[in-house]
Amino acid sequence: MSKLKDNKLLVFGLILVMIVISICVVSFFYLPHDPNAMNTSDRFQSPSIEYLLGTDQFGRDIFSRIMVSSQYALLIGLVSVTLGSFLGLILGAIAATSKGFVQSILMRIIDGFMAFPGILLAMMLVAVLGKGLWNAVIAIAIFMVPVFARLSYSLVLDQKNNLYVKAAKSYGASKGRIIFKHILPTILPRLITQFSASIGSAILIESSLSFLGLGVQPPDASWGLMLSESRQYTLTYPFLAFPSGIILIITVLGFNLIGDALNDSMVKRRASA
Amino acid sequence: MMNRLLHLENLNVKDTHNHELVKGVSLDLYEHEFVGIVGESGSGKTLSVKAALHLLPNDLGVTFEDSEVLGKSIIDLSDHEKRRLIGSGIGFVPQNTVAFLHPMIKIKHQIGDAFIYHTKANKKEALQKAEELLVKVGIKEPKRVLHSYPVQLSGGMKQRVNIAMALMTDPKVIIADEPTTALDTVVQKQVMQLFNDLYTNDGVSILFISHDLKIVKRFCNRIYVMHEGKVVESGYTSEVFADPTHSYTKKLLRLIPSLKSGRTRRLG
Amino acid sequence: MLNFIVKRLFSGLVVLFFISLVTFIVLMWIPGDPALLSLGTDATPEKLAELRESMGLNLPWYEQYYQWLTGFLVGNLGNSYVFGEDVFTLLVQRLPVTISLAVLSMAIAIPIAIVIGVLSAIYKEQWIDYIARSVMQLGDAMPQFWLALVFLVFFSAGLGWFPVAGFTPVEEGFFASLHSILLPSIVLAIGQIGPLIRIIRSSMLSSLEQDYMLMTSVNGFTKFRSIGKYALRGAIIAPLTIIAMQLAGILGGAVLVESIFALPGLGRLLLMAVEQRDLILLQGIVIFVTGTVVVVNMVTDILYQIVNPMIRFGGSHE
Repeated sequence: MSKLKDNKLLVFGLILVMIVISICVVSFFYLPHDPNAMNTSDRFQSPSIEYLLGTDQFGRDIFSRIMVSSQYALLIGLVSVTLGSFLGLILGAIAATSKGFVQSILMRIIDGFMAFPGILLAMMLVAVLGKGLWNAVIAIAIFMVPVFARLSYSLVLDQKNNLYVKAAKSYGASKGRIIFKHILPTILPRLITQFSASIGSAILIESSLSFLGLGVQPPDASWGLMLSESRQYTLTYPFLAFPSGIILIITVLGFNLIGDALNDSMVKRRASA
Repeated sequence: MMNRLLHLENLNVKDTHNHELVKGVSLDLYEHEFVGIVGESGSGKTLSVKAALHLLPNDLGVTFEDSEVLGKSIIDLSDHEKRRLIGSGIGFVPQNTVAFLHPMIKIKHQIGDAFIYHTKANKKEALQKAEELLVKVGIKEPKRVLHSYPVQLSGGMKQRVNIAMALMTDPKVIIADEPTTALDTVVQKQVMQLFNDLYTNDGVSILFISHDLKIVKRFCNRIYVMHEGKVVESGYTSEVFADPTHSYTKKLLRLIPSLKSGRTRRLG
Repeated sequence: MLNFIVKRLFSGLVVLFFISLVTFIVLMWIPGDPALLSLGTDATPEKLAELRESMGLNLPWYEQYYQWLTGFLVGNLGNSYVFGEDVFTLLVQRLPVTISLAVLSMAIAIPIAIVIGVLSAIYKEQWIDYIARSVMQLGDAMPQFWLALVFLVFFSAGLGWFPVAGFTPVEEGFFASLHSILLPSIVLAIGQIGPLIRIIRSSMLSSLEQDYMLMTSVNGFTKFRSIGKYALRGAIIAPLTIIAMQLAGILGGAVLVESIFALPGLGRLLLMAVEQRDLILLQGIVIFVTGTVVVVNMVTDILYQIVNPMIRFGGSHE
């Protein structure tokens, strides 16, 4: 009964993500218009056959821009979370397998990073590194590190006391071998769950940074940047706020739903085990 | 014939996966009886008693032919009447192992709740009565206990509070679900003595669930033996112990050799 | 108990120390020459030397850190390059706006989240629960800046219910001031409501499964009474700590919301500091904001221990 519902959530999330991924894939081969071609005679067009989602303040085709933006959103989301989860896993695993002083210092460092509001940490790094796509990726990755470090820390700690780990230890397997051969495979599902949910929030931060003018830079397109650029015209042309806003929500919702559904099924499996 | 206080006929309980947990159980409790239900955990004894009090969650499939509480057929009663009848007429003493007392509420704010709710008495009267009952169940500093949170009390004290709480509405029946587990032997004896006093001096009928054959043998005058969701044997304690008919009961009795030698001691 | 408080205070201090170190290193060390970064490449050498001198950049880094830290402890955060003013003064000027936003948004989000969370737990797997969970998911997925933009378009520009931009200080009337921050606060509140509902719902669900709830049925209480007195009491403490954690999210959201509604708060100040690369100002804001988050979390953790009788008297969970 409830398993069926989880599957529904998962399927719905997958559909949303598939929509975004297909848009992204198609955008590499086909775009209705040049996303950066300005056409001052066609500014603020309403949706039509020619311009599916209308045009913006420079007469650029909004649909094409949304398609191109999906590339950046997925790229930034994937790369930053991969980077962040990898570093976080290493940090968390070291903290969990070390003792006393080292452990508590590492955990305080993780706590310290947790105290930074995500966007604040990202802004701080952007201020130092400069605006731009790759700096945004680094900033978001660093934001993700403590999230994954905390999770891996508790997961590894749980596994450490398991029988098979103790057995491996008793015949003298090295620390690294134990972590990679024995512990990692068992905690991987939980990490993947967190990975999916984190991509949602990474894309959210990217769009916020771009909205503030600190992420993706013009003339490249990003959903957040599109909203920011058309901001002063939205009072007169409210429609401008919707296409990029809605695709952003669809993307984030999709990844969040997948993460939640996976997490729920995992909690249930553990409860019934 | 004495008054029948509890009556349950042909109870069946199924879980959500359609497994049968209780199969055709019938139970009775008459006035001035001390009845024991014995069986290991998972035998369905707690489920049966909870079903008699209509406490089982809705997702379990519960069916029965007849269910009476204090002489009234439960099927004819409205929800409100059911709550009133059970809430004021029956006291329930739970296992001591878990938080049946609300951990975030002081004893004085929860012990009198049922009394106030069912008798429309005020808080002061309830506290007075609670104090008397706490003394009666053997608590020497009732005021201190009333002002405490459950976590500040020892296991034995908490169980006494549970018993006092069950007595607040002057019930005719007390149902006790493994009330002595997790208590040390000295306290266990004291608590059992308390039940026995209630039964002999106050005329309260007691339905007593336990896996401890020794206690049941000593205090109960009639027993039900449950095994895998069924009542496999029932009757007067002395007869069942003297001449068990079911193989499970025989096995149970063999497991406790000291019982044989204890047979000559007084029966409750 | 005392042991816990001392431990918690100590670990809080370690975190604070770590934050100050990271902030210092990131902002003063990584950029190479902060003075050059602040002034830009077209700066005259004289000006650069002057700024270096005033920023204390000629000293070794640990001495710089020490001076900065001791200065920080007495409220001396240095001078903002862009504003030419004391950073501490700037912070104090902008603080009322952000605090009002945070407080008002919590005042909106918490009661709503409690009602929705409790109802969705009581009516688990029924339509109220489904609606609550959809609200939760949507709240999590909606970018705050977008919501702010849409609200601005509809409620301020379209319907004219709220001012399009700007902040009215309390001195010019309490309600006028409230009116000026109500819409941004609602936006911030919507951002918080997802996680709040989640924790309240799960806390309530676990309370409903506790054995004391069985006792309320034995005692024949109505559902209303047993939930009102017993279930709620058991569910209310755990979410306390999460509410403090929300603070980080609110302050983060404030940056975006303040920028859209043109509110002169900490968030706007931060954005200016980043855009102008005013590192001293940035440093001050970062330390101030994260310090607040750490301290508030520390205080709620300790309060949690004091409020919870199971810990206060028991020392451990049963």
